[in-house]
Amino acid sequence: MIFSLMLNYRKTLCSSLFFLLLVSFFFSELISSSHIAVLPVFEWMETTWFGVAGKTWGALFAVVQAGHLVGLGVLGGSVIASDGRLLGLFKGLPMRLVVDRCHSVFAWSLALLVATGIFMACGVAIKIYYMPVYWYKMLALTLGVLFVFFIRKPILDRDLDQVNPWLLRLLAISSIMIWFTVAATGRWIGFS
Amino acid sequence: MSNKDDFKARDDRGAGIVFAGGIVVFFIVYWYFEVQSVRELLEMAYG
Amino acid sequence: MNQLIYNAAVWLDNTEWSTRIHESYYLYNWIESTHVLTLMLSLGILFLIDLRMLGWAFADISANKLATRLNTPMLLGFVVMFATGILLVYAVPVRSAQSVWFRLKIGLLIICAINALLFHRKMTASIGSWDFEPRAPKALRVGALISLITWSVIVICGRFIAYDWYDCNYPQSDFIRGIAGCIDGQTQF
Repeated sequence: MIFSLMLNYRKTLCSSLFFLLLVSFFFSELISSSHIAVLPVFEWMETTWFGVAGKTWGALFAVVQAGHLVGLGVLGGSVIASDGRLLGLFKGLPMRLVVDRCHSVFAWSLALLVATGIFMACGVAIKIYYMPVYWYKMLALTLGVLFVFFIRKPILDRDLDQVNPWLLRLLAISSIMIWFTVAATGRWIGFS
Repeated sequence: MSNKDDFKARDDRGAGIVFAGGIVVFFIVYWYFEVQSVRELLEMAYG
Repeated sequence: MNQLIYNAAVWLDNTEWSTRIHESYYLYNWIESTHVLTLMLSLGILFLIDLRMLGWAFADISANKLATRLNTPMLLGFVVMFATGILLVYAVPVRSAQSVWFRLKIGLLIICAINALLFHRKMTASIGSWDFEPRAPKALRVGALISLITWSVIVICGRFIAYDWYDCNYPQSDFIRGIAGCIDGQTQF
């Protein structure tokens, strides 16, 4: 009985377990030991072609950063359009089409952001390694990506009239929250 | 809708609520401490 | 002309609030963060509309509806963008006014404004005839492409303003001094 219940609610259980593990990781000793363990990766990042190029040519770094900002704009635009529609704004635009088309724009802009982001991270790897805000951004980004592709998308792929409107609103609000956090923490990396 | 689809829909919904809830809690906790630390710094600087 | 701009910038620089914003770590950073994060509202939505016109995204959604429904958040974004932009210039007036990149940015913004005006006019004149076609008529596609490219360059210029390569307080070639509007013997930077 319990086993079949667990089997039928695999995803819900996995999500709960994921957050439980995340919180326990946060409050355990593991967090500082894994922070030390990944240092060689960041040292290596600075020695890569990306790292050297990012450090040597300030102009190249700035252009890539501008690309990152354009990507941020488009990603934000798609989030606002899609989640705004789910929240009941932009009435008159077909929800099904807006949500679907926004998702592909979102995926493309995320690809651009990740590509430019990796380049920038290589250029300042050691600096960001010691910044808590960078790690919060990575955490928020991971949550956001998992949420969009494994949680939000499967629900929105269903017949939208059949999905509880409150669930749609919850998905929209949490999506806006997480992407705002990713963007804002990213901006703060530049100031610290 | 078959029984299997029904369970799948409920599982997706359950995961949606858990994950979205997790994000909302993360958002509130993170920004609460962020604002708090800025306020403390400002108080130290200006009294 | 450059002397006039310099004088005005120096006057702004000497006002109390300019110094306040400039000296305040948090205030300046918050204004700048708002300026950058509002990209999602202004530029993000503008690019969605441009992509629709080019047929690269939202091809099966009514172009007219998409443009009109998303117009309000986009304009709101641009209002915040301009307001925070003006504050940023106000906080660092002399350096901004004599920045090659800032001057280029203003020029491109004017081009964008004219482009947007022409685009809007052509859009209202032609709407209905192609609303559900995946691609807009050629004139509108050209306008959308100009908008995409020019705004991307504006973002690059905005990013470059932070770099001091062509600042007047360093030795520069006559050409750079000319376009940056450096004044001989200027005392404020």
